[in-house]
Order: sequence, then structure tokens, then C-alpha cells
Amino acid sequence: MGSEPGEWVLLAYRVPREPSSPRIAIWRRLKQLGVAQLVDGLVGLPADARTREQLEWVADDVLAANGTAGVWLARPASAVAERELAGQMAAARAVEYAKLAAEADTSTQLAGPARAAAVRRLRGELRRIQRRDFFAPPEREAAQRAVATLAGEPATEPVHGGAS
Amino acid sequence: MRWVTRAGVHIDRAACAWLIRRHVDPEAEFVFVADPSEVPANATPFDMRGVDLSHHGSDCTFETILRRYDLADPVLWRIAEIVHEADIDDGRYDAPEAAGLDVALRGLSMICDDPRVLELTGPLFDGLYEYHRRALLLGRTPA
Repeated sequence: MGSEPGEWVLLAYRVPREPSSPRIAIWRRLKQLGVAQLVDGLVGLPADARTREQLEWVADDVLAANGTAGVWLARPASAVAERELAGQMAAARAVEYAKLAAEADTSTQLAGPARAAAVRRLRGELRRIQRRDFFAPPEREAAQRAVATLAGEPATEPVHGGAS
Repeated sequence: MRWVTRAGVHIDRAACAWLIRRHVDPEAEFVFVADPSEVPANATPFDMRGVDLSHHGSDCTFETILRRYDLADPVLWRIAEIVHEADIDDGRYDAPEAAGLDVALRGLSMICDDPRVLELTGPLFDGLYEYHRRALLLGRTPA
């Protein structure tokens, strides 16, 4: 990340406490998108076409639940503020990657179809975490390695020069 | 009829355009706008905030169009599962094709403009339809 703060898409929202099911669905969706929480009722993601669209859909869900919501494009006034936000998001992903790596390690005790099923499930989970990972903590590589080991993939060596 | 959607089409909008042309309006003409305020008065908007043919609850726009136009074809609903997972990726359906289709569409949108993306994805969705039609009839993966 350079010293110039980048653009973020922010969702300011408020959902009525009751009924609780739309409120919980909105909360789950935001968690799935990997948003950073700025303050209560204000979440953000680094801005791109996809993140902006996804937060706009959530804003519509909030309105449909009789809440209030607005989507904004913003730039942190200081690089420090952005680093804190990025750090918060990277730390949240790091916890998820570590949990995944631990599960992959435990699953090496499995064999045959049970192991293949564990590989499929953990690969899917890894893909979902990576989709909401914007700042790649070091734990990511460890998680990728743990799943690759479980799958019995050959260790990938960096390739030099053109083999073909 | 004229149909309008947001510029920079991706999986849901490309699939919807195909669905509209094949199953709703063979004469459909598509217009792309940057902002909802630019929607022409004589056009039907889809996959935009605040319009009827859009995301509703957990449905993506493709699913909404199937419901609004009473399209009960099970093959279309199978395609809807793939589009849903490629677009929203919430694990509601088991659609392993979604990840690949999502990448293919993202790549296309990097090198083509919107009309060209629709032109190229038309045969892709025709093929996907035929594949899943045969799969449904056979009750297994078609050769």
C-alpha cells in the first residue's frame, strides 16, 4: 500500500432491532463480505466495482427491512487511519486462516474418501476467505500450504525461465 | 422493447440479458447507463437499485425475472442457481460451475465493452442451457 490513502466504499446503516431475522441476515451478509467496522452502523471495504455493488445490495436489504442506509465513496484523511482499518481487516482474516490451517492439519489423520471430502470442504472455505481478504496477512500462505499438503499437491517451486 | 441496466455488466446482468432475449422479449434492445438517474423513460430497468427487476431478499436479479415472468422451466432454475452463486456467492446452492463462470465473465469484461460481452455470452448461456437440459433428461452428467 502506498502512502496515499485509497478509495473506500462505506455503508452507513441502521436496522430496526425487531424483527430480528432481517437484521441477522444483514449482519451475516456483511460478515461474509469481510467489512471493516468503523463505528457502530458504519462499515467499509476498499472500493472497486464489486465491493460497491455488494454494499449497494445490502443497503437495499436494509431499506427493505424498514431501516435507513446510504452508500458513500470516501478517502481516509490520513494514511494512519487507513492502516488501522487495513490492520483490523487483516487481523480478522488471519484468525480465519489460522483456524482453517489447524483444521487441515487435523484432517491429515483422515484417509480415503473422508480425506477427499475434507479437502473439498477446506478448499471451498479457503476460496471464501480469500474472496473477502483485501490485505493478505502472512497466515494466508500457511493456510494455502496446509490445504495443499492435505490434498497431496506437489510442493510448488518457483519456475525460472521458459520451460516451453 | 428497450431494456436498461448498469454499465460494466457482469454475470447477473449478462445472464439476465440472455434470459430476456430468449424467454421474455426476442426483440429486446439493451441500453447501459452509469447511474440510475440516466434510465430512459421508455425502457425497463433491471439489476439496478430501487427497481422491481432486481435483487429481492436473497434472490439475484435472474431469479427475480424468473419469478416475475412465471418462468417455471427447471433448466432455467438450475442456471439460476449457478448465476446466484457466481453473483452472490452465499453458499445457498451447490453450483461448482459458478466460480469458473465468474472468472470467465470478469475476464471478458476487462477486454470487451458491454454489447460485445452480451454478444459473446449469448452462445455460452445457450450451451449451458443445452447441457443442463440434457443432464436433467438423462438424470446424469451428459457426455
